[in-house]
Amino acid sequence: MSTLQTYIKTQRESRPILLMTHVIYGYPTIKDSLEIMETLLREGTDILEVQFPFSDPVADGPTITNACHVALENAPTLRQCLADINALATRYPDSKVVLMSYLNPMLQFGFEALADTAAPAISGLIIPDLPIEQASFVEPLKAADIAPIWLTIPQMDSARLAQTLSAASGMLYCVSRSGVTGGATAFDAVTDNLDTLKQQTSVPLGVGFGISKPEHITALIGHADIAIVGSALLNAYNEAGLTQLVTRFKSLQTATR
Amino acid sequence: MSDEGRFGQYGGSFIPEILFNSQQDLLSAYREAMADPEFKAEMLAQMQQYSGRPTPLTPCPNLSQQLGGAQIYLKREDLNHSGAHKMNNVIGQGLLAKRMGKKRVIAETGAGQHGVASALVSARLGLECTVYMGAHDIERQYPNVFWMKQLGATVVPVTTGAATLKDALDEAMRDWSSSFNDTHYLIGTSCGCAPYPEMVAGFQSIIGEEVLSQAPEVLGRQPDKIYACVGGGSNACGIFLPYKGTTTELVGVEAGGIGDGVGEHAMRFNTDQARFGIAQGYATEFLQDEQGQLLPTQSISAGLDYVGVSPILADMVKRNELRMTAARDEAVLDAFKRLATTEGIIAALESSHAVAAAIAEAPKLSRDEKLVVNLSGRGDKDLFNIASALKDAPFNDFLADYLAREKQA
Repeated sequence: MSTLQTYIKTQRESRPILLMTHVIYGYPTIKDSLEIMETLLREGTDILEVQFPFSDPVADGPTITNACHVALENAPTLRQCLADINALATRYPDSKVVLMSYLNPMLQFGFEALADTAAPAISGLIIPDLPIEQASFVEPLKAADIAPIWLTIPQMDSARLAQTLSAASGMLYCVSRSGVTGGATAFDAVTDNLDTLKQQTSVPLGVGFGISKPEHITALIGHADIAIVGSALLNAYNEAGLTQLVTRFKSLQTATR
Repeated sequence: MSDEGRFGQYGGSFIPEILFNSQQDLLSAYREAMADPEFKAEMLAQMQQYSGRPTPLTPCPNLSQQLGGAQIYLKREDLNHSGAHKMNNVIGQGLLAKRMGKKRVIAETGAGQHGVASALVSARLGLECTVYMGAHDIERQYPNVFWMKQLGATVVPVTTGAATLKDALDEAMRDWSSSFNDTHYLIGTSCGCAPYPEMVAGFQSIIGEEVLSQAPEVLGRQPDKIYACVGGGSNACGIFLPYKGTTTELVGVEAGGIGDGVGEHAMRFNTDQARFGIAQGYATEFLQDEQGQLLPTQSISAGLDYVGVSPILADMVKRNELRMTAARDEAVLDAFKRLATTEGIIAALESSHAVAAAIAEAPKLSRDEKLVVNLSGRGDKDLFNIASALKDAPFNDFLADYLAREKQA
């Protein structure tokens, strides 16, 4: 079992649901983004999802897309991003860090190089534009104990779902609805789908897209293992900086205790 | 082509999972439609009765004489309804969207030609139409935006990133991620995930098929070389593919812009700023930096200002079936003027790239050689840009007077 999966299973023994929070490396500056990451780790986020920005993030909505374009003005490099995360992660061994980006920046860096550089600080990788039939791209990550985190969607064809579940390790990222990140989601429809999924796999289920309030997280308890929050924290930061982000984080965290 | 929509190492399908089902539906609907003689007959009828096909093959005796080398002929895609080859593709995809029971189409557009073509065909077929267009392109091509609106389409300005074609494509994909139940994404060029490259190239292939059958009468034989401008690559695929495996040399002409520096051109070949990458749903040669971020592009013609290129063409270049060259903005304007004054044809700035390459190469060839240039579109849409590039002062006076009159009224 991957380190990420073991971590989630262990944490879940004493907690109804875990919280995964999202930060864009380089937004609004590289230094600020590291401060946001450190704050979230200090406040006890279970899993920190660090997005390495890409110029054409097609699965992301306006909040994250605009932030990625601002981040790119700061000319971030993946090598420095991984070094910075590594320095941070060693100080917060009680949390896990996963990396999220699009295929091209990872491909240009090389998956072999990524396996060598990203471990052990990074324990999972999310690539929304990498389809399951191209799983061989991320094969080199397995030896480094970096779990490829595959996405599932509602109305997934059963053969394709089976293929995804058999490749899954670490956790699954269950996209709650159609569309891009940010925006509203009807969570009652989501839970039925999660219960069906739960019967078919022992891999922990993370749910993302549209989680912005404690009641969204409460609604997922008993159905999912991890609530994934992205745009909501970024919006809080954009409204009133780090203080507002911490306030929003704490209110969400209460729902997970 | 393999089942995955691959062309050598290029092409394929790299899209967010949420789009997988609609992409599969599109794939099977396209295969069924192409196996249905009634669909193909309907498509041909629309191309003839609505768009005015077949388009002629026009000899250019004055231009050829002046250059003193090879004989130049033009495939007149500018004479299509809408003024460009874009019509061929939107008729095919519009009819396919109807067949699939979709009520709405979304489209991305650079120069606005594909946007106008999508709006035209949507009006005719009774489809709702939303066009995503980079805010920067809207500034350069407002007349096309005006026509889209008159046709009942909604034009959405895209302000993210460089605010040009690649960003409009990203935004259209985001729309499709939530609207796929009733919406068809009508991609305007032979790029994107499978089956778009194959499908768009297929609908455009009528261009090359017509040349194949017209050449014996007009040229007396098949051409020695064919030139086409390459942005995304749909007009080039259209005229080239029926000539694959023949002795005719195929020449693609990219936007050389104002120089070879980063962000000064839109060349995906013959530059170390482009290499293999995967983005926007497919694998191809992308202009990108060391980190894999897609680079900004520049061209006098909005239609060639794109960071990727058709995977079909990338593969043909790799296999030495296609030679890729480029024309700088300055040469393009000269070609535009020369064609207008010698043959009385106003070409689009995009198509003028192909004309520029033929003008550069024809004098070095013998008078017995015959070149066909794909004149993919007409230049009316470029009125403002050309007037500006030629520094035509009376045109500015005209606009100032127009504004003054409008303000008074």
